[in-house]
Amino acid sequence: MPILEKPDQLHQAIAWRGDIPISSRYTAGIAGERFFGEIRDNARILGTRCEACDLIYVPAMMFCERCFAQLDEWAEVENWGIVFTYTVLHRDLDEKPLDSPVILAYVKLAGSDGGLVHYLGEMAPEDVYIGMPVEAVFKDAAEREGSILDIAYFRPVAD
Amino acid sequence: MTAKIKEFPGVGLREADFREKRVIYNTWTPNAQYAWDAGVAIGRYLAELKEGRLIGVRCNKCRRTVIPPRNFCEWCFRPMDDWVYLPDTGTINTYSLCYVTWDMGRVKVPEISAVIDIDGTSPPVGIMHLLGEVKPDDVKIGMKVQAVWKPAEEREGSILDIKYFKPMT
Repeated sequence: MPILEKPDQLHQAIAWRGDIPISSRYTAGIAGERFFGEIRDNARILGTRCEACDLIYVPAMMFCERCFAQLDEWAEVENWGIVFTYTVLHRDLDEKPLDSPVILAYVKLAGSDGGLVHYLGEMAPEDVYIGMPVEAVFKDAAEREGSILDIAYFRPVAD
Repeated sequence: MTAKIKEFPGVGLREADFREKRVIYNTWTPNAQYAWDAGVAIGRYLAELKEGRLIGVRCNKCRRTVIPPRNFCEWCFRPMDDWVYLPDTGTINTYSLCYVTWDMGRVKVPEISAVIDIDGTSPPVGIMHLLGEVKPDDVKIGMKVQAVWKPAEEREGSILDIKYFKPMT
């Protein structure tokens, strides 16, 4: 075969395979430490308040996004909120079909100007609607480890 | 620091703070696998190594045969003309006794790496490989050596399909 002829069969192409071992750590930071710590220790959701802008940030921020003031006034917000927007997932990150659909929502928390992206549970996908009141279901204290997943999911608020 | 800021907020973290979970953090290990395409020339080279053969390429204009194979002659920039099978014997061009591992550990028995000019190339060109079945003190520049191959079923299309080169008796 002349040397510039290209391989016409896939098995003729030879690749060298490797794996780059890298891993990273991401710390929650000063505000995140307190925000997630409070979820872990007391199952409470905290926000930070900007007095000048009259905003309560959830998740808690160190600085106001509007006026850049440093925020050190902490306020507990409600552990319920309304579904601001949602989506229903039928496939996982590898595009494999899921056993049962997963509902993701942005829940705007009552008593705050922020909210959390989280799972919705104890409901069927066709029951979700925008404006639906939902409340946080926390894991047992022993299972909580300072993660957003210390909240298992949000479920409909019982009447 | 500046006139306004006396010190940055927060604290420096040590490994123990992570180990003992004194701070909240998460970790991520991305799946960073890759496949590097060997290309036409090196692809054939590796495929022939799996068969237990050395192959080079020839430029008829410059009248030279080289190994490892390449698509273009770097002397005249023309495409190479022919594939040429080469014997698995050669001559030690230069060598080194290595008493450290890649991560700077000490070793008692040195690893001997060498550039071996492969017979049949002209002017002589070499490939880098290891020497074996020879005492460090006995290695000489100009020594004739021959490849020691892995058994066929263990070869996988790698330069390590040759275990090492040993002196010819």
